[in-house]
Amino acid sequence: MKTITIDPITRLEGHGKISIFLDAKGDVANAYLQIPELRGFERFSQGRRAEDMPQITSRICGVCPVAHHFAATKALDAAFNVEPTPAAKKLRELMYCGYFIYDHILHFYYLGGPDFVVGPDAPPAKRNILGVIEKAGLEIGKEVIKHRAYGQKITAILGGKATHPVCGLPGGVSKGLNKDEVKDIETMGKSCVEFAKFSLKLFDDIVLKNKDYLDMILSDSYTLSTYNMGLVDKNNKVNFYEGKIRVTDQKGKEHVKFDVKDYYKIVAEHVEEWSYIKFTYLKDIGWKGFKDGKESGIYRVGPLGRLNAAEGMATPLADKEYKRFYETLGGKAVNSTLAFHWARLIELLYATERATELIKDPEITSTKIRNPVGEPGEGIGVVEAARGTLIHHYKLDKNGLIDKANLIVATTNNAGAINMSVRDAAKGVIKKGKVNDGLLNMVEMAFRAYDPCFACATHTLPGGMPLEVNIYDKNKKLYKTLRRNL
Amino acid sequence: MRTIVLGVGNPILSDDGVGIHVANQLKQKINDPNIAIDAALTGGMNLLDLILGYDKAIIIDAVIDNGEEGEVKIIPLSNFSTMHSCNPHDVSLTEAIQMAEKLGETRIPKEIIIVGIMMKKLPCEFGEKLSEKIATAVPKAVEMTLNEIKKDN
Repeated sequence: MKTITIDPITRLEGHGKISIFLDAKGDVANAYLQIPELRGFERFSQGRRAEDMPQITSRICGVCPVAHHFAATKALDAAFNVEPTPAAKKLRELMYCGYFIYDHILHFYYLGGPDFVVGPDAPPAKRNILGVIEKAGLEIGKEVIKHRAYGQKITAILGGKATHPVCGLPGGVSKGLNKDEVKDIETMGKSCVEFAKFSLKLFDDIVLKNKDYLDMILSDSYTLSTYNMGLVDKNNKVNFYEGKIRVTDQKGKEHVKFDVKDYYKIVAEHVEEWSYIKFTYLKDIGWKGFKDGKESGIYRVGPLGRLNAAEGMATPLADKEYKRFYETLGGKAVNSTLAFHWARLIELLYATERATELIKDPEITSTKIRNPVGEPGEGIGVVEAARGTLIHHYKLDKNGLIDKANLIVATTNNAGAINMSVRDAAKGVIKKGKVNDGLLNMVEMAFRAYDPCFACATHTLPGGMPLEVNIYDKNKKLYKTLRRNL
Repeated sequence: MRTIVLGVGNPILSDDGVGIHVANQLKQKINDPNIAIDAALTGGMNLLDLILGYDKAIIIDAVIDNGEEGEVKIIPLSNFSTMHSCNPHDVSLTEAIQMAEKLGETRIPKEIIIVGIMMKKLPCEFGEKLSEKIATAVPKAVEMTLNEIKKDN
């Protein structure tokens, strides 16, 4: 058995293990990505005070603390039967924009972008932010750091703390904004709009003007025509913080639009014996295995899912980019997995524009930031995490303690699609039993586009990201292993 | 000389939170205006933000390694050729430091060491309590950190 070890990369945690099964001809029949799932959350939550959930759940994940914080807060709004004041909603949404700004910047420049900016064939040791700076220049590096920090600062001003916010309460928020803070956020927001415009131009120059890259984006290996899901406002424009959940089909036509409280009528979970992760699918279409197309209930969430599930962006510059996105990539829906990266930058522009809108709103300094709560009951809350639709569902007892808790995280919504993308990328590089050395890179690019969130422990791991690919022959006998950093 | 001691981990993910347990105990034992003690639920870029401006950083963290479970080791950061941290959506501390150096950051601590509590596998179960083996490592890690601080004085 031949083992190929590739230089370290450090961009995705979790002991991601990929199993690829070949058919009699030696071509790819199936591929599975196995990732560890955190267990025991329901038991852990039972008996806790419901109002602690926004703080507790923000600790679930080092990636999406703000998203969990507000999914929990919104579930509590519903569970305590209280509508937040208009000012509180705006403050929450503004803070949420700050989170999208730093999160999307981090993904594009540090994690996903290097594949394009430095090149998919570059050695993994170069495909990182340092490689990006080498190619794009130190000045750009400084701008990246500055604007990521702005996003965090906006979040910190509103949330009390940068990484683990403490502001969300059922019925509102605990902290308003003063005039100095408004001025600070206004200045940072304007600068972020310019930076988002610059990032889109960079994508244009480096990726879209390069025919090889464009061909790769549009290639079969990276195309998946699933349904798409995301939150939309009343005009069917993308919204990160509130609205209805809209699902569109492979051609971009509305399949269903629903309130999150009906989530369990629309979406079901499928279990596979080899994975802890449950695979969600559209109930009315059904689970048809790891297949795309109209007959299969698998859908995608995240930047590309959201753009496809909507009819535009609610801010002018982002909406213009939205139109250009579909004109360039051949109309609705865009099914190219690598287009996630472009979609992410369009959302970055939207988040910056929306932040500058909200900060100018006269109501943003209002002191009416909380409504009194009602009797405890059951509540479901939804937000769009940077990487897709996130739902918290709590049942409270009469004393306001948690009786039942269930979370559906973005990566669960994308799990079926991620597996298919890994399989299709592998198909492109394994032919008749011959395994191309580029396999790990191709596979990595396929799942990294989704910006997946794996287990979120915070320990130190010597070495880079462990990735192991086991390839099995038609008799399910181990044929070859490729790994790095295990 | 200004030192920061950071317990790193996820406090609701059982053994993963061991660094925070250690930091909490140290808080009761150290009373020195030149030594800051804190808990950090983060890695990479955010971790770097927290240590900037100090002369020395001591990071107490669970380390997944082949060593004996619960063993405590002091490891200079430079001994990790590569390292990846908690966060799938972040870079490692090593990478964050390299990036900051390249951009001319002058506030990076001259010395960064890791007080590592060895663990065999990724904790995947929610909980606030430590397992027996890892709990016995806490006093050891406290003592080793205190010795490390004494050395500098």
